[in-house]
Amino acid sequence: MREYFERITGELFKNIKSNELLIVNFDAEESNFVRLNKAKIRQAGSVKQISMTMSLSNKDKKNLKSSVRLNGSYDRDIHTLTKTLNYLRRELPDLPKDPYMLFSTNVHSTEISENIENIDDKEMLDHILMSSSNLDLVGIYSSGPIYTGLANSLGQTNWHSNYSFSFDYSIYNKNNNAIKLNYSSKKWNHEDYDSILQKGIEKLDVLSRPGKTIGTGEYRVYLEPAALNEIIDMMAWGGFSYKSNKIGTSPLHLLSKNERELNSSVSIDENIKDGISANFNSDGFIKPEQIAMITNGKFVESLTSPRSSLEYSATHNAAGSSEYPCSIDMSAGKINNDEILNTIDNGIYISNLWYLNFSDRNNGRMTGLTRFGCFLVENGKLTAPINTMRFDDSVYSMLGENLVGLTANRELLIDSGTYEERSTSSARLPGAIINNFKMTL
Amino acid sequence: MKNEFLTQINTYLPNVDYCSFRFVNKYTNVLSVTRNVLEPIEIIEDEGLMVTVIHDGGFGYSATSNLTKEGILKATNEAKSWSEFTKGKLIHQPIPPQESIDNGQYFTHEKDTWARESNIDKVDYLMEVNKYLKSKPTISNWGASFRYNKIETLFTDTNGSKFRQNISYILPQLIACAEYKKQIQTRTYGGHAHARQIGYNFLKDSDLINQATTIANDAIELSMAPNCPSDSIDALIAPDQMILQIHESIGHPLELDRILGDERNYAGSSFVNLEMFGNYKYGSELLNISFNPEQETELATYNFDDDGTAAEKKYLIQNGILKRPIGSFYSAQRAGQDYVACSRATSWNRPPIDRMGNINMEPGDSSITDMIASVDDGILLETNNSWSIDDYRNKFQFGCEKGTIIKNGELKGVVKNPNYRGITKDFWHNLSMVGDKSSFSILGTANCGKGEPNQTIFVGHATPSCLFRDIDVFGGE
Repeated sequence: MREYFERITGELFKNIKSNELLIVNFDAEESNFVRLNKAKIRQAGSVKQISMTMSLSNKDKKNLKSSVRLNGSYDRDIHTLTKTLNYLRRELPDLPKDPYMLFSTNVHSTEISENIENIDDKEMLDHILMSSSNLDLVGIYSSGPIYTGLANSLGQTNWHSNYSFSFDYSIYNKNNNAIKLNYSSKKWNHEDYDSILQKGIEKLDVLSRPGKTIGTGEYRVYLEPAALNEIIDMMAWGGFSYKSNKIGTSPLHLLSKNERELNSSVSIDENIKDGISANFNSDGFIKPEQIAMITNGKFVESLTSPRSSLEYSATHNAAGSSEYPCSIDMSAGKINNDEILNTIDNGIYISNLWYLNFSDRNNGRMTGLTRFGCFLVENGKLTAPINTMRFDDSVYSMLGENLVGLTANRELLIDSGTYEERSTSSARLPGAIINNFKMTL
Repeated sequence: MKNEFLTQINTYLPNVDYCSFRFVNKYTNVLSVTRNVLEPIEIIEDEGLMVTVIHDGGFGYSATSNLTKEGILKATNEAKSWSEFTKGKLIHQPIPPQESIDNGQYFTHEKDTWARESNIDKVDYLMEVNKYLKSKPTISNWGASFRYNKIETLFTDTNGSKFRQNISYILPQLIACAEYKKQIQTRTYGGHAHARQIGYNFLKDSDLINQATTIANDAIELSMAPNCPSDSIDALIAPDQMILQIHESIGHPLELDRILGDERNYAGSSFVNLEMFGNYKYGSELLNISFNPEQETELATYNFDDDGTAAEKKYLIQNGILKRPIGSFYSAQRAGQDYVACSRATSWNRPPIDRMGNINMEPGDSSITDMIASVDDGILLETNNSWSIDDYRNKFQFGCEKGTIIKNGELKGVVKNPNYRGITKDFWHNLSMVGDKSSFSILGTANCGKGEPNQTIFVGHATPSCLFRDIDVFGGE
């Protein structure tokens, strides 16, 4: 794939004039998707797609870009791309200047290429089907290589390719209670998969006890890393964006303005170095390996795109235009896994939260629901599954004065999202024990 | 050209029990002016082909952006290979349709075409709108954009079906934020729900200059307003919030694939079960909900879904009684239910699943004035800005941009951060008045997410304003 990318961009750059700059972003994937319901196949298939975005600018600070889907056939693709380039060149003079246009002009080429192994997905799927034949299992298996490239007419080339698979699934019991599981990696191992499934089956056994409906009110809760990730994800909805904090639409704008604080044990970085996303942005800038965004409860640094840096006279850190983190890294705490239930004592163990949104964005207040394995804890023991509850609480409360502590053990959660293309986002974070967590419905 | 392409790829159809080719070409153009500066214009052209094979008890698909003969044949072989692999492992063995479509077609009517207006003219219009959005110093952020999408579908199958559909829609978006004592309030043009299958003339007819002035003034007023009080009161819900209420608590729970469990790992299930159809009382007798692909200019108006099922209007809920699910031809086979033409895919690279199309609330006979006059203690809720509902589509909490207190039959002061919560099973029984045609609005959302692999799709909702009794409302902080 890389050879194709270089051949086609090399041909395009031959036609670039001295007063022009062309940046090309390349995205491709070869994915298999198999959807399961009740441990049977619901839909199975493959998707092969290649797309390229060309951004043409000139010395008058005018800029226009266009994305096209490619065939993978050189003659057809070069014809399509040349036609698109001519269109951009024709439209460019009529457009107003872009005062916030900023592209990398320091040539900095990089390459991260992982070996793409020829893995037999159908063998893994047979193993999944066989090992779950007595279970009500539902979910999605996705796998295959993902390619990301950038090249510009100044001579810079960046390339990132990797192979991964993700099996994101749930197992249900007869009472419609479920445990959510995920096995994501680069190399399939039957034993690893079986071990995760077995732990899930054991947890499902506790869910088979008669469920309890708890009342509204305040509870001490434990949020597993997956549940905490939902809250962090809501914070990230503008919360780490320089622009959103500047204009005040960020849920963390009061934190960024030092009006509010989080608990001193909360530290959150953007950690590109240990994530799975490409280390360059679409303007050709190389991302720092690590950015400390919140340290010891205080806001330290936003993700700042090149455009924001010009608009607000700030220094950018090669963030993408959305200024959204793609590799969250939250510091661990001190609570060991075997201390979690005793620390909760009486309260609720929450494996997952779901469908979060804001109740009051200005003040970082959000709502959402418990989902999958959630249990009542009485005297330090899981006693019964609880029925779905809605919470409504502020981040300054949950991760502020009411945060009891974070776990010493962290989990790497690879985003199984597949909107448009397979996601390369990830988050490494601990679990959290929180006092006075507000349940409202 | 298109007919030639259809004829050409038709010759590649394999000798199997059933195979379909669905070609999609999607063009997207977004122009945004934020704080008086043109953002980089987005132009996206996407095309590819989905091959679906049903053969000898198996079912598989393959999607490719390689539209050469070699690419299409390779994808066909991959679809056949998946079909072979799934034999005896499927949750349901689909039985393909017997009927064929003879050169069917559908085209959005664009009175003034998008392409006829130049980029620079569109940008000038957006710049002008920006001036009215930034009408006062306390406006801290503002912006306006136009999104245009054109989706062309060509379909052929081994039954001899052929059809061509060309759906295009326009979405104008306006936003204004006002700041007062470090509190920000945001108003938008209808929560970005004014998306329609219509020509460029829609943007001129919508009077966006006046809309810009209104939402800027609203944002300023809201920024200085008190928080919404907490109480159980009547709620008069405007169309730009009603669409979200219909979408989340009627549309999604009636999707048949959820009821059959396909979505339990992601988008969730439903409190509705198969035994409820034909007898369950979903809401008050005033509740009439249709699957209506025939409503002119609405987002999901079409003649065929992505499996080639002919589309027609059918009631989902009539006089409060649940009639049928939002289930496609194949899902209905699995469940023994009646179907609607709702098998839809986001593009060529995703398989179709059960989706909302146009899910509409039929108008009633109450004027807005009569509804307000009937309220002693209540609130008018406008424009959705927050949505959250459980995975069985029961416990919900929704937020709006603007609330206006109603006392003794009259509108009183504006309140900020109005939220309300409830339980679907109870909520629709509290429907006490339904607005007449004067408040009936055709709206829609361009980004409904669902499915594994994930898909977003555009769905339409047309509805009048409606009055509900005894709703639990509350504010922010």
